[in-house]
Amino acid sequence: MAEQNNAVLPKGVVQQEFNKAVEKFRTLLGEDNVLVNADQLVPYNKIMMSAENADHAPSAALTATTVEQIQGILKVCNEHKIPIWTISTGRNFGYGSAAPVQRGQVILDLKKMNKILEIDPVMCYALVEPGVTYGQLYDYIEENNLPLMLSFSAPSAIAGPLGNTMDRGVGYTPYGEHFMMQCGMEVVMANGDVYRTGMGGVEGSNTWQIFKWGYGPTLDGMFTQANYGITTKMGFWLMPKPPVYKPFEVIFENEDDITEIVEMLRPLRISGTIPNSVVVANILWEAGSGNVRRSDYTTEPGHTPDSVLKKIQKDTGMGAWNLYAALYGTKEQVDVNWKIVTDAFKKLGKGRIVTQEEAGDTQPFKYRAELMSGVPNLQEFGLYNWRGGGGSMWFAPVSAARGDECKKQARLAKRILHKYGLDYVAEFIVAPRDMHHVIDVLYDRSNAEEKKRADECFGELLDEFEKEGYAVYRVNTRFQERVARSYGPVKRDLEHAIKRALDPNNILAPGRSGIDLDTYKKV
Amino acid sequence: MSYPLSGNTAKRMLIASIFPFALLAASAQAQNTDHDKGPWQSRWSSGEELYEKVCSQCHDPKVGVGTAIQGRVLPVEYVKFIVRNGFNAMPSFQASYIDDESIAMVAEYLSSLPAPAAQP
Repeated sequence: MAEQNNAVLPKGVVQQEFNKAVEKFRTLLGEDNVLVNADQLVPYNKIMMSAENADHAPSAALTATTVEQIQGILKVCNEHKIPIWTISTGRNFGYGSAAPVQRGQVILDLKKMNKILEIDPVMCYALVEPGVTYGQLYDYIEENNLPLMLSFSAPSAIAGPLGNTMDRGVGYTPYGEHFMMQCGMEVVMANGDVYRTGMGGVEGSNTWQIFKWGYGPTLDGMFTQANYGITTKMGFWLMPKPPVYKPFEVIFENEDDITEIVEMLRPLRISGTIPNSVVVANILWEAGSGNVRRSDYTTEPGHTPDSVLKKIQKDTGMGAWNLYAALYGTKEQVDVNWKIVTDAFKKLGKGRIVTQEEAGDTQPFKYRAELMSGVPNLQEFGLYNWRGGGGSMWFAPVSAARGDECKKQARLAKRILHKYGLDYVAEFIVAPRDMHHVIDVLYDRSNAEEKKRADECFGELLDEFEKEGYAVYRVNTRFQERVARSYGPVKRDLEHAIKRALDPNNILAPGRSGIDLDTYKKV
Repeated sequence: MSYPLSGNTAKRMLIASIFPFALLAASAQAQNTDHDKGPWQSRWSSGEELYEKVCSQCHDPKVGVGTAIQGRVLPVEYVKFIVRNGFNAMPSFQASYIDDESIAMVAEYLSSLPAPAAQP
């Protein structure tokens, strides 16, 4: 029988104890589902963060296919104090990918749990297992000609709804705030209990995916970005496919236009005139996702000068800011809202509107239009070619949807990134009242010096934004403990009190979002 | 100008409004019940399917995000190494996502495709 040969152990667990656990895992899951060899584990250790791979290396990986197996795994973990890191599809790029937050954690890989349990085209919802991908759902909807539309993040073709929602990811349709559209979870607790949120606990209920709140405390949120349970099923609402869909872009020439863009957009979003998660992408996001590479313009080290950005604008027709939005509904509804939108831009006196007819199949318009209508693609990965080298970390502070705030954040981020010789590659994802200010900290991970710079840069971004009262909504595993501190001690005390109550052996993803009974207040 | 849905979809919506139970009957009750049928099986039924659903999303010459890989007769061991390890920004894929047999199928399929035309 194969022995573990990658010389990585969970923190505080000796080899003999680990081997006992591995033998129990093999008995429970079968040899093929207990991965301990280095070549089997290497796919789980591919990261884009500015950390050493060794710091996020797993000691083993388990693949489970049933809730009962997960209960069995947790029993073994409790007996031997084995920490596990659960993944659904493992596609959390730029946030840690599939790798565990701490070296030595055993990965629980749920990709094989890939059943679409139900899609109801009348009530417009789906119930899925963790391993289901958006691509799989899209194919199913298309093959069965269901009048439904998905919402997903940019890695749509290969990522999945459960993992994305549990990390509170967002998409680009009117259903783009994914956790808001979640309805009903099944969660395996550390003690093996199987808990269903909302109406899921009512015997014979047929409203688990219909009514979110159930009765008494509503606990769904505490399982997201957290380590209190393992979600094995999740329901979510699907938007009916509209009779008419009209995507459009508005191109703005100047960096300072962001103030007026946001002021103009907010009332259109709050009123629902523009219903989807609008994107306002800066020139480098637009260029990167449109397959423009930095090396096409300069080979000088450091940040890309503004003069080059202007040259790219001139050569490509892209804007300093590029707004993507869409209208959905009947022809009458779309016509009315289109008039309101175009009147607003006319009144602003800035912005060049591009329709789908004008854009044709050009990128990045094409992929944006697909994302806003639930058609998966991976075109946005072109961003990674801008600088090359495979380094990417999302710095994603929340901003109020106020023009002056967005401008202040953009300037602050750009200044810090330039200080470290990196580029400001950003988009604002526009909700009615907030902005996810998503910045891709791109760097050459194969260059040790640049990786170190990116690491320091990310730390300074967090520090300087915190001084202004800003914090990120989500972060990669290297910086989760740091970001937890931004949200204050009372929240952390409460989170650890819950952790002690639900998972006293600290076996579920210790360190996730800074929640770890072994280290918190013990230093 | 706006884009109406396809005729089939529009018809379906009409049917849904008149005969809601017609769609209820079509309500998808489980698909891909791999582990209800015994041992888990790969989602990928052919190299072509895997290429179309995953690889081509970046590597199709028309997409231009990843290097074109079709028609280059890449050895299966090389394809496997890149799939498992990733390369620069290309993500790695664990065996639960793409199993060894599917990698072999996609390598064979890629070899059967013509090489993309040279760029001017």
